[in-house]
Amino acid sequence: MAQSPQAAGGFASIPALLQRNASAFGSKAAYREKEYGIWQSWSWSDTEKEIEALALGFLNLGVNEGDFIAVIGRNRPYFYWAIVAAQSVGAIPVPLYQDSAAEEMAYVMEHCGARFAVVEDQEQVDKLIEIQDGLHQFEHMIYIDPRGMRKYDHHKLHQFSHVQEQGRAAHEEFIGDLKARREKLDYSSICVMLYTSGTTGRPKGVVLSNRNIIEASKSSSEFDTLGPGEEVLAYLPMAWVGDFIFSIGQAYWTGFCVNCPENADTMMHDLREIGPTYYFAPPRVFENQLTNVMIRMEDAGRFKQWLFHKFMAHARKVGPAILDGQPVGFMDKLKYGLGNLLVYGPLKDTLGLGRVRVGYTAGEAIGPEIFDFYRSLGINLKQLYGQTEASVFITLQPDGGVRSDTVGVPAPGVEIKIADNGEVFYRSPGTFEYYYKNEESTKSTKDEEGWVATGDAGFFDDETGQLRIIDRAKDVGKMADGAMFAPKYVENKLKFFPNILEAVLFGNQREECTAFINIDLNAVGNWAERNNIGYASYQELAGHPKVLETIKSHVEDVNRSLADDPMLAHCQVHRFLVLHKELDADDGEMTRTRKVRRGVISEKFEDLLGALYDGSDEIYTTTEVTYEDGRKGSISATLKIVDAAVSPVERAKVAAE
Amino acid sequence: MLDASEGYTTEDGRKIGGVVMEMKNITLRFGGVVAIQDISFDIREGEIRAIIGPNGAGKSSMLNVISGFYNPQEGEVWYKGAKRPPMKPYEVARQGIARTFQNIALFEGMSVLDNVMTGRIRQMKAGMLAQAIWKGKAEREEVENREVVEKIIDFLEIQHIRKTPVGRLPYGLKKRVELARALAAEPSILLLDEPMAGMNVEEKEDMSRFVLDVNDEFGTTIALIEHDMGVVMDLSDRVVVMDYGKKIGDGTPDEVRNNQAVIDAYLGVAHD
Amino acid sequence: MPEQLVFAMEVFLNGLMAGVLYALVALGFVLIYKASGIFNYAQGVMALFSALTLVGIMEGQVPFAHLINAIFGTEIHHFGWHVPALLAILFTMAVMVGLAWVVNKLIFRHLVNQEPIILFMATIGLAYFLEGFGDIMWGADIKKLDVGLPQGINTWIDESTFNIFDYGFFIDNLDIVATVVAALLVTALVIFAQYTKQGRAMRAVADDHQAALSVGISLNFIWVMVWSVAGFVALVAGIMWGTKSGVQFSLSLIALKALPVLMLGGFTSIPGAIVGGLIIGVGEKLFEFAIGPLVGGATENWFAYVLALIFLVFRPQGLFGEKIIERV
Repeated sequence: MAQSPQAAGGFASIPALLQRNASAFGSKAAYREKEYGIWQSWSWSDTEKEIEALALGFLNLGVNEGDFIAVIGRNRPYFYWAIVAAQSVGAIPVPLYQDSAAEEMAYVMEHCGARFAVVEDQEQVDKLIEIQDGLHQFEHMIYIDPRGMRKYDHHKLHQFSHVQEQGRAAHEEFIGDLKARREKLDYSSICVMLYTSGTTGRPKGVVLSNRNIIEASKSSSEFDTLGPGEEVLAYLPMAWVGDFIFSIGQAYWTGFCVNCPENADTMMHDLREIGPTYYFAPPRVFENQLTNVMIRMEDAGRFKQWLFHKFMAHARKVGPAILDGQPVGFMDKLKYGLGNLLVYGPLKDTLGLGRVRVGYTAGEAIGPEIFDFYRSLGINLKQLYGQTEASVFITLQPDGGVRSDTVGVPAPGVEIKIADNGEVFYRSPGTFEYYYKNEESTKSTKDEEGWVATGDAGFFDDETGQLRIIDRAKDVGKMADGAMFAPKYVENKLKFFPNILEAVLFGNQREECTAFINIDLNAVGNWAERNNIGYASYQELAGHPKVLETIKSHVEDVNRSLADDPMLAHCQVHRFLVLHKELDADDGEMTRTRKVRRGVISEKFEDLLGALYDGSDEIYTTTEVTYEDGRKGSISATLKIVDAAVSPVERAKVAAE
Repeated sequence: MLDASEGYTTEDGRKIGGVVMEMKNITLRFGGVVAIQDISFDIREGEIRAIIGPNGAGKSSMLNVISGFYNPQEGEVWYKGAKRPPMKPYEVARQGIARTFQNIALFEGMSVLDNVMTGRIRQMKAGMLAQAIWKGKAEREEVENREVVEKIIDFLEIQHIRKTPVGRLPYGLKKRVELARALAAEPSILLLDEPMAGMNVEEKEDMSRFVLDVNDEFGTTIALIEHDMGVVMDLSDRVVVMDYGKKIGDGTPDEVRNNQAVIDAYLGVAHD
Repeated sequence: MPEQLVFAMEVFLNGLMAGVLYALVALGFVLIYKASGIFNYAQGVMALFSALTLVGIMEGQVPFAHLINAIFGTEIHHFGWHVPALLAILFTMAVMVGLAWVVNKLIFRHLVNQEPIILFMATIGLAYFLEGFGDIMWGADIKKLDVGLPQGINTWIDESTFNIFDYGFFIDNLDIVATVVAALLVTALVIFAQYTKQGRAMRAVADDHQAALSVGISLNFIWVMVWSVAGFVALVAGIMWGTKSGVQFSLSLIALKALPVLMLGGFTSIPGAIVGGLIIGVGEKLFEFAIGPLVGGATENWFAYVLALIFLVFRPQGLFGEKIIERV
């Protein structure tokens, strides 16, 4: 296994990097958070003090080495400090998704046996109190926001700032212990445990060592020459490995500044104010931003619209080439410069992406139009491919080699091989240690030589030498006639239309493919408003004949483009229906990271699926839904089933045996 | 019964103080119509006091008497131990009585922040000339007031709409902004005119939580009128029940619930 | 450079300057309209009245001299002193504030919550009253106003343009001063409205009376303040126009020119009043220059109104007005 035995630069843990940063970048901003309308900031030396106080407070509360400390809340400096403070005392931080339902949280808390939890506010405290009877090892809870907490029993409940104060007060008593514990940390000690949401089954606890995190952070930072001057906005869930790498791994390795939004709703404002230089967003965010831009342009004056479309057309023509440093005619360059002054620049600033030097997207396929839109504006948006088990990075697109349909070349230090069935395997210094208390899964995922199965099917593109991912390996099925069934590939093509939010394709072991479709309320609602189409509910809009008509044309577009690709031509959608409700994580239809749960959906909507294949024109159905406050209700609707035209293709001959 | 001067302690451990406002034998007439007939009750410091009753019972009139929008023909209003002479609404507001309106009265063309800042007018002392001459002082005052306002914006979770013109907000958020503006005055008494009117179940729950939190965190005395019985009973410490301009009940939610006159009024009068 | 173009440029510049003065009057309208929803027909007359008062004070005229002389058979006209311009302006301002207070006390207090049309009628009444009152107080003769503003051709512009185009532009110094003053005034007003407590209170009152009361704003105070500010703007406009063309009855007719300006710019927008004023000023001068000779001249009398009419058809809310949305 390719592992450097020596710690990079002699820094074998995040707390060690913290100390280096405090002396190397002392007064430089490490964290900012907008609170009460103002950006508060903490330098690296402030950060070191805050973390030390908290670590001492942890010792004061009796945290032992090897204890698990759950961290539950939105991106705030306090939580990042809690993570590093936990590491400093030899405990293992476990960030959790703060919007998980109590039962999901209960499973994870019990599985890792967390003794402590650092949480945000009353809402999280209540959630933990609700489940704590089932948690055998759970002892203390530390909350940040004291609002509404006065009446609670404070025997095992502590305010964050008080824990720090007690830590400071007990400095003499514990500092020796803290130092000793900190010194014991080495490259193989556990840095963090992250639970993967998992499309199926229970979440698994991925154990990542300091070696994993630091090596992955180091090589990826070098790949994109990230330096201490970068600004990032931390807004993605803290329980997600990406946030851990960007906001802790790379931030501590390079010493750059992590900015935390005021709250989830202000994220776009805060993005604009901070103007990050290094930015990650899942395709969904880029899509939404583009949709919003387009909606606003529809409402703009005629001159503005003309200017926008004129210059955007030019940007699409030459923008990507300019970004890649390819030769471009002088007049084209001049016109692009003018466009930058009038359109691209202001637009990028509005999007908050005016200063982005390195931008990444991953997690799902991004629509080529969307991807090209951002790149043509001069934003260096690239794709990467990764997973929790790899400490994110498996492949990355290098500057100058960016394509919308590939995910890049192997990241530095990563080896990749493709199995016979198309599944992608990798091994790297970032490869996880093991799944916590789950030897079986560890064995089936990571073999003795360190190769990890990604579960994705893909191949290396002949032309670019970059990896191309088609689908989940296990989702790639066979149709009744033996042809390849690649649902995700088709769903992504459908989802590239702004009107379509989600799509679920069926066809495994069947004669032909069919689909469930979710409309995008934002885009379709806007369209309806402009065309004076009244609707009282999502359901009504989703069932509107004109909407069905539009969706049908999208489906047929996709069918046409599928017909060109002999590998996938038989995956054309023959029939589809537009669902009466949005697929929702609260109803278990999607994962928290918004991946569709095919199995759950086909079981839950069995009747609808049946109707797609029995030739009926419409079907009446009732569905149970969960509201945001946890109450359950049900909605019913009669859904139309639409036949879409398919382009004729010669079916790929399957070798008859 | 309650002791008039001493306070009491609620079941959940909040300290309720002495009487801060007392209505004595209030009668209000519009021409020949009697809207309020000889009603007396008091409001204690730190409590949530509700005035309920079917539609047309005179609840809103009573709130308007407290806030100075109507001056009663008979009766006395005692505030902080002194009898209050007839006053203009703005004078009442400057005495520290803030209110919201059933139909929302916000400055639609101004941003959320500006709306909430107007709530601080009582606390902003610098006059027009002073602002021109001692620019620094006026600026400091502006900053201090802004800090208070930001805490409230944070408390009511409306940071994301800080700069949005109020006219563009949905109903539920407007209600919250109006509450923020009233809170910005750091009032001795906060009057809420049907805070839950026109809200769906979820919004009602949110609003109830905010009302309770405001009372809990800032110790604000709250008087609210509402015709949704369920909400009121959960929220309030004491309840006055009105019907046809008369008081028919006064006491804790439990006492009121078991009061025969109240039961009759609510069963006998159709209300939605 | 062709001669015609150079002339056109001069006309353009002169139009801009005239536009500034239109804007100044329009500004007074916008202020009162925004703060109280009243379309103040009397704004032009207020400008006249303030200019009359200013001249009267400066010249040491005895107010109501004609009336006094007629009743008592005396022959007094002057106190026999002259008041310095600056002091006179301050006095005049005090008179305008007093006027604001009286107008509010006697008229608008009693019309709270009335329909806009009623309030508008009241201002028409106010306009005629003020006009007559000014006559009686200060006499109906045309007066010269000189507060010491520079006047006459700006030689620097004349010479420098002559060097470039071989043709010297005629730009009046007074127009330049007016432009500068107007710019300062607008800046001050915007700062006042946006960044001071009173400005915020003023906007609040304009927006919702009930809500303003509930946060402790006294409507009367704000209204007196608004009318005073409008009086101040009227005074500035009165000084500029008065200096330019003498203090006379026709001054109040400028107010009518403000109407098309407002239709163009929108009744609720301060930048609208400025841009509208400039467009009308430049438009009518250029139109007269280019088309006037073809149709026999005197287009300045009607050009602004026709332009406003066209605007009303295509963009009834004006360039900067709030969008009028009819919810069906």
